[in-house]
Amino acid sequence: MIFDELRAIQLRLGYLPKAELEALSERTQTPLYQLHSVASFYPHFHLSPPAKAEIRLCDDMSCHLNGSCELRAELLRRFSGQPPEDVQLKDVSCLGRCDQAPAVAVNDEIHVHVNADKVEDLARQAMRGDHHLPEHPQETRLACASDPYGDGEKYGVLRRFVASKDWDGLLATLKEAELKGMGGAGFPTSMKWDLVRKQADPVRYIVCNADESEPGTIKDRFILSHLPHLVIEGMALAGLVTGSRRGILYIRHEYPLQEEIFGEELRRCAKAGLLGKRILGSDLDFDLEIFVSPGGYICGEESALIEAIEGHRAEPRNKPPFPGQMGLWQKPTVINNVETFANVPQILARGVEWFKTVGVSGSRGLKFVGVSGHVAHPGVFEIPMGTTMSEVIFGHAGGIRGGKKLKAFAPSGPSSGYLPASMVEVKLDFKALADAGSMLGSGAIVVCDDTTCMLDMALNAVKFYRNESCGKCVPCRMGSQKMVEILTRWAQSNIGESQFSADLKLVDDLSAAMSQTSICGLGQIVPAPIQSVLKHFRAEVEDHVLKGHCPSGICFSPSNRSAELPRVGIKP
Amino acid sequence: MTPAGMIELTIDGKTVQVPPGTTVFDAARMNGIAIPTLCHLQSQTPVGVCRLCVVDTGARVLGAACVRPVEPNMKVQTNSDKVQAARKTLLELLMSDHPSPCARQANSGDCELEVLAKEAGVGTPRFPRRNVSRGQDESSLAIAVDHDACILCDRCIRGCDEIKNNFVLGRMGKGYFAGIAFDLNAPMGDSTCISCGECMVSCPTGALTNKGVAGTAIALGTDAALTAEELHRLPVFAGVSGTFLELNRGAIVKRRFRKGDVICLEGDFGSTAFYILEGKAKVSISTPIAHVKTEGGALGLFKKLKSSLVGREQDRRAEETRDRIIPIDASVDLSYGNPVAELGPGSLFGEMTCLNFYPRSATVRAETDVVAFEMLRNVIDIMLKNKTFRAQIDQNYRRQALEDHLRGVPMFAELSPEFIAHLKESVELIRYAPGQVIARQGDAADSFFLVRIGFVKITEEYPGGELVLAYLSRGDYFGEIGPLGGGFRTATCTALDHVELVKIPGDDFRQMVKDFPNVRAGLEKMAAERRGANEQRLKMMEHVPLDQFLSQGLMEAQSLLILDLENCTRCDACVNACADAHDGVTRLVRDGLRFENYLVATSCRQCRDPLCMVGCPVGAIRRRNSLEVIIEDWCIGCGLCARNCPYGNINLHPFEVLAEDLENPGRKKAVVKQKATSCDLCTHLKEPSCVYACPHDAAHRVDPRKFFGQMLGQDTSR
Repeated sequence: MIFDELRAIQLRLGYLPKAELEALSERTQTPLYQLHSVASFYPHFHLSPPAKAEIRLCDDMSCHLNGSCELRAELLRRFSGQPPEDVQLKDVSCLGRCDQAPAVAVNDEIHVHVNADKVEDLARQAMRGDHHLPEHPQETRLACASDPYGDGEKYGVLRRFVASKDWDGLLATLKEAELKGMGGAGFPTSMKWDLVRKQADPVRYIVCNADESEPGTIKDRFILSHLPHLVIEGMALAGLVTGSRRGILYIRHEYPLQEEIFGEELRRCAKAGLLGKRILGSDLDFDLEIFVSPGGYICGEESALIEAIEGHRAEPRNKPPFPGQMGLWQKPTVINNVETFANVPQILARGVEWFKTVGVSGSRGLKFVGVSGHVAHPGVFEIPMGTTMSEVIFGHAGGIRGGKKLKAFAPSGPSSGYLPASMVEVKLDFKALADAGSMLGSGAIVVCDDTTCMLDMALNAVKFYRNESCGKCVPCRMGSQKMVEILTRWAQSNIGESQFSADLKLVDDLSAAMSQTSICGLGQIVPAPIQSVLKHFRAEVEDHVLKGHCPSGICFSPSNRSAELPRVGIKP
Repeated sequence: MTPAGMIELTIDGKTVQVPPGTTVFDAARMNGIAIPTLCHLQSQTPVGVCRLCVVDTGARVLGAACVRPVEPNMKVQTNSDKVQAARKTLLELLMSDHPSPCARQANSGDCELEVLAKEAGVGTPRFPRRNVSRGQDESSLAIAVDHDACILCDRCIRGCDEIKNNFVLGRMGKGYFAGIAFDLNAPMGDSTCISCGECMVSCPTGALTNKGVAGTAIALGTDAALTAEELHRLPVFAGVSGTFLELNRGAIVKRRFRKGDVICLEGDFGSTAFYILEGKAKVSISTPIAHVKTEGGALGLFKKLKSSLVGREQDRRAEETRDRIIPIDASVDLSYGNPVAELGPGSLFGEMTCLNFYPRSATVRAETDVVAFEMLRNVIDIMLKNKTFRAQIDQNYRRQALEDHLRGVPMFAELSPEFIAHLKESVELIRYAPGQVIARQGDAADSFFLVRIGFVKITEEYPGGELVLAYLSRGDYFGEIGPLGGGFRTATCTALDHVELVKIPGDDFRQMVKDFPNVRAGLEKMAAERRGANEQRLKMMEHVPLDQFLSQGLMEAQSLLILDLENCTRCDACVNACADAHDGVTRLVRDGLRFENYLVATSCRQCRDPLCMVGCPVGAIRRRNSLEVIIEDWCIGCGLCARNCPYGNINLHPFEVLAEDLENPGRKKAVVKQKATSCDLCTHLKEPSCVYACPHDAAHRVDPRKFFGQMLGQDTSR
């Protein structure tokens, strides 16, 4: 595997020197350009020697709302004049610690709830060569309502179906439950599994997408920590139903603790005969392995994820064909989100009736949501589907922090756009949120108080997409950058009425082209944040562009809020 | 009724039937409906990245026709308002970063992007322009790369990897900062690219364009330029794109020479190389093998002074301890005693002239009827990148010239024939592009190098600057100080132009100095001398604060001609005296750097960066360790060094000699031949003639260190 080879070199030398790549090319008969095209694509790989202390700062939604800009400005001040071989500050995309913002990584170790003193301390230790072990919280498994097993014996559903082999019944139950994908798109799970099951090719794969990388999305991290057995059981059931013998958990590299927990659970299963050859003494085989992502939000797009496993640049494929027809190694592939797999044994253990009634107001099932931003108690919460947003924000997450008022919320990170406080009674449900012009997505609720500038938040969201665009297709590669530039112009100058109306037309034309012609969901969703802000917070935008005034006092200030550092993973 | 095995769909209201697996793009094309595209070529696997071919199939989003297979009863709209609007925005996006007109549009008006944008009515793009250039790459001889014009359509990549299986080109980076890259993002000319041209002919814009060579076409005469088809039949061009060959039509000609015809003439400037297919040719130097010597009677009898051409037999100068090999621009070298050699089929000559535009180093004449290719640098680049051809050329070199080269290094004289035979096989032949660093000061040093083609600049860094220690040309060697001494490179060696080196690997080098003690002694002596000279120069730098004077190289000179301007009446007696002392050709110009009331007249000042050393086609100019310029006997009088000297201190001295008559082989006739000369400080006289001749006591010959030291109140004479 090409990534394993590259990782081995980087582990040994700290980066990928040219001579090593040439030797690797020779040894593995891989053309040089192939090594370079992936090494320059993934943020995980360094093509030049890194500084003794490389500080990577996240400035995506939740960190942005929690002082990451001020932190960046202060760190730049403190480390100014330091030689670049000692310390370097870089921007990095969401590290998946949105509930513990702001987060930074120092030499690949993630630190949360940081301030300038703490980061400076960590960096100076690294510059001295002291290896700092990050404080892994001793996470004990929390009891979840989703867990049908509680303290009792696990994997009951798997045992039952290995004995009965009633695959038709299994699919019928999922169909009746109307289980939908929990990664964002909401595609019916039974239909996806059935499609793979019916393919002519006898080799099939099961892939679990644990690459959640969208700002605000932290629920899969929680599920992998506390309910890994449900994910494994769901994947194994998918494997048995579709006749697949091999499953892969694709996990983002920023989740080493979850990788460890999941790996431990895998070993327990193998020991208990629940995975591997002849499961529980039957004639059924299914084994599972972990694939650690070399990084990038785009890897969460299912076909890009498949490309990454195959050792290529994570560039989404043109569809059709879909992964269910031609997926990993061109074989039929089930690819589902962590939460979707975890839902399967719940439904099969407790029955469709339970699933239908556990939600409220007619919605089905339980849902894990991450709440971050300006709330008193950020974190991951397990709620019945159909719960109102106000109950989540004010009930579970403790309301707005510091006595401030709710101004806006994103139901699911940048993709869902921003909704105003007036819509806080919206239910968390596929249909209700779609009707509100948003989406349930991955349940990444990001909350903004009344000190937030919504144009600034739209710009922040679009920058995230620009940074994470793979660059394969024209509309996303170029459009995301141009969108950033237009919004930067709005946030930084009084451009006047005629320029603004010309810009509005331009943004609309660009939005239409991006959402209609981009290959994948990333490019298609880039316009969502600014379109939602134009829809719900138009007056605020007009204050900027027509009066040169930011009502929240954030834009037009010394440029620290719009400043950008060299980015991790962007290697011009 | 749809015929069995066919799929029926409607495109723009027209019902069409196509086989399953057909793309919407092809289904439309087969039925006369053209869909615009930039990234799709019929010969390549579609990738669907430019998105211009999007069509409306009634799905949630538009689909790229080039990658969308047809489905039964599909209703496709290729040109609805929605589709047209999206397409126009995409073109506007691309045009906003496009350097319009790009090289292709400027040359031939057919940049596919610019043509489509114009058709779609895209005016000045409304989007902000890219503010940082993605760069240009001029390193390839054959193809110019303008990354700013690249639209990442992947056509070049598929051409290189999928069609030609050369596997050199790929995408690099991510998002808006993505681009195309050769190998590990090497300059194209330094990469493993074989110049097959497929990327260039695949490119829709001016990102990859054919690099015309100045005055591209070769004068045809009676010979015909080879067509692309004729070229394609030759194994060396088998893998090269036909369009690329077509573009370079006229850059290669098959020449037929009759017995006795002159193929090329020493000293001529040219831009072509020759490759002999049939027949034999003789390569020789017709200028007398001699240097200019001035001698004569006592002072005051200038008219009786005489400059003449003398060889080593009559006048052996210092350091000329043995006969040298005369390096020429061919696969053979000439010997001092008999500068004639034979070239046969498979011989390539004129590479230096072709690649680096240096004058011809020797005269080549057909011994029998000769058939040869004459070609420009872009064609020779293509040929040399063909592995088989390259191996053949290298093999020729190993067989014919390598031994001469090795033996040309005086201290290698005692190497045994067995060891030479071993070296012939074990040395590596390496090419470097202009500006490429061969070895860096401070790097670990292992191997030893011999220059085969081109010029290598040797520089040493010192606090506050860089000092050029030497320019090395064919037959010179470097890299011995490191392996013999501390194991580190003591200087930086850079390719000045297209350079080819013979690399003797560390193991062989160590074996050689172990087995042949005299070689070791010789190399150590040379290393010590070079080190000493370098140290001395650096020491002088430290002592003298006047950078301006340093930059003129004055302090390094052995002796300077100083004119005291208070006394000088500008009578030019000195100049006339110099001319008189040198057969009417002055080597002194009464102009130069002024320092207080002194004029430092131009006469060779042994510059820190001796540009005269660069380009001599026969390696006939060199410096002694004392920095004095020596013109070797085999100077062919081409005048390049004189043109290169920024101070006009090298002059050409014409002589009438009897030489072979090229029109009448076997006979001789009187012709005028030139030899380069520089100020010799009238070493044949007691005092330089200019000083002697000055009627006003204004001309002085001084030791610069003493002279400037006194003026500056420093004692620099230590």
